[in-house]
Amino acid sequence: MHQRWHLLYLLADGDFHSGQGLAAELGVSRTAVWKRVRMLEPYGLDVHAVPGKGYRLGSPIELLDQDRILLELDSSAKALLTRFDIYFETDSTNQRLLDHHAQAHGNVCLAEFQTAGRGRRGSRWVSPLGAGLCLSIGWCFDSFPDSLTGLALAGSLAVVRTLRAFGIRDVGLKWPNDVMWRGRKLAGILLEMRGESTGPCHVVAGVGINVAFPITRRPKIEQAWVDMVSILGRPISRNTLAARLIGELFAVLSAYQVQGFAGVRDEWAEYDLISGRSVTLTLPDKQVYGRVIGVDPHAALMLSVNGRVQIFTSGEVSLRLRS
Amino acid sequence: MDIRKVKKLIELLAESGIAEIEIREGEESVRISRHGPPAPVQTVVHVPEPQQGPSAAGPSPSPSTATAFSEPLSTGAPAHERKGHMVTAPMVGTFYRSASPESPPFVEVGQMVSKGDVLCVIEAMKIMNQIEADVSGTISAILVENAQPVEFDQPLFVIT
Repeated sequence: MHQRWHLLYLLADGDFHSGQGLAAELGVSRTAVWKRVRMLEPYGLDVHAVPGKGYRLGSPIELLDQDRILLELDSSAKALLTRFDIYFETDSTNQRLLDHHAQAHGNVCLAEFQTAGRGRRGSRWVSPLGAGLCLSIGWCFDSFPDSLTGLALAGSLAVVRTLRAFGIRDVGLKWPNDVMWRGRKLAGILLEMRGESTGPCHVVAGVGINVAFPITRRPKIEQAWVDMVSILGRPISRNTLAARLIGELFAVLSAYQVQGFAGVRDEWAEYDLISGRSVTLTLPDKQVYGRVIGVDPHAALMLSVNGRVQIFTSGEVSLRLRS
Repeated sequence: MDIRKVKKLIELLAESGIAEIEIREGEESVRISRHGPPAPVQTVVHVPEPQQGPSAAGPSPSPSTATAFSEPLSTGAPAHERKGHMVTAPMVGTFYRSASPESPPFVEVGQMVSKGDVLCVIEAMKIMNQIEADVSGTISAILVENAQPVEFDQPLFVIT
């Protein structure tokens, strides 16, 4: 393990640790400790250095722990798990699984920090180290890709179920799969698929959940967002969260294999935030204004535009204020 | 085979610059071929047991459709190319030629590709589907503009 991660392990409890003590633990000089503390800052970590007391993290971090997650994972998920990796730092957990997509069925990948976390079409997913959960899961479907169009919506339900299990109410979904809490984004899902046009389809589902963003070093994010700890007003275990999410994702993927989108369409509609609302749909080359009818059996958005129903498979939805 | 499908194939041929395509659907097969300008257009359509009924009432290939074939081609293959392997859209969605708006296209016309190379992304409901080449060869035509919606089974690329 790189020494900066060793240092992070020692600091993770949020208590003060003297420079001398850290130097002894790491087997380096006190100057080297100071340098390694500086190396943690680009990860969005808030490290306090107080003369006479030493170093501490602005808030404690529960680092991801593979043994603990496996211990808390339900038995049906454990049976489906084929490989489990946790990285301190990687480009993107989705990319890790896409790189060997043909063998990624049942693989789970987590990272404390992503250097190139991504959303759709080049947008970035930003999360300081330890502040969120960045998780990807691989699954192979024998079916044709056109039967998988509802998979991202199904995946968002796995996240909703997980959040509700932690006591978070008022969670809603904005088509196709933004997980929102009172108008602010709490989690995002990106599905990436590889394969020939005739199948089989190797799917990688990536989930990012905002857990506990540092108060003093909040990243600049363009849209309104919220984290779990701010909603709940208490700390939560990221390992318990990971175990629960892995379980829910495996459940959704297994069920989708049998039932498709039809199996979750009603549940998805319960959390649909935009049905009946007037929205602007932003497409690559234009904007469309309409009223949302709902989602069709393929999970596409049905909009009433000037009295005619139109179907859309992509685009960014924003709610329009009443005029 | 539905006559509308045949018409679509002819339109495709006109747009793409492919000299000849042959499509099989079970027992039926259609071969559409043409000769580059300035030779007169020859369209051969073999459809065993053409479907009767409403679909037959649709527009059928006509000389006026075929005249479009003699128009100059911008991104097509050379006229001497005889055959091509078609990569079609496996799902409805939006067709993207690159991974993100800032990155270069995955492939260009004339580029060699190997089986398994990513050709494009089709997005539907926030699923980014990276479509791989199912054969190795040269990209001889790209049939859809970037960021345009595509239908299920719509031809996207021709690999020769």
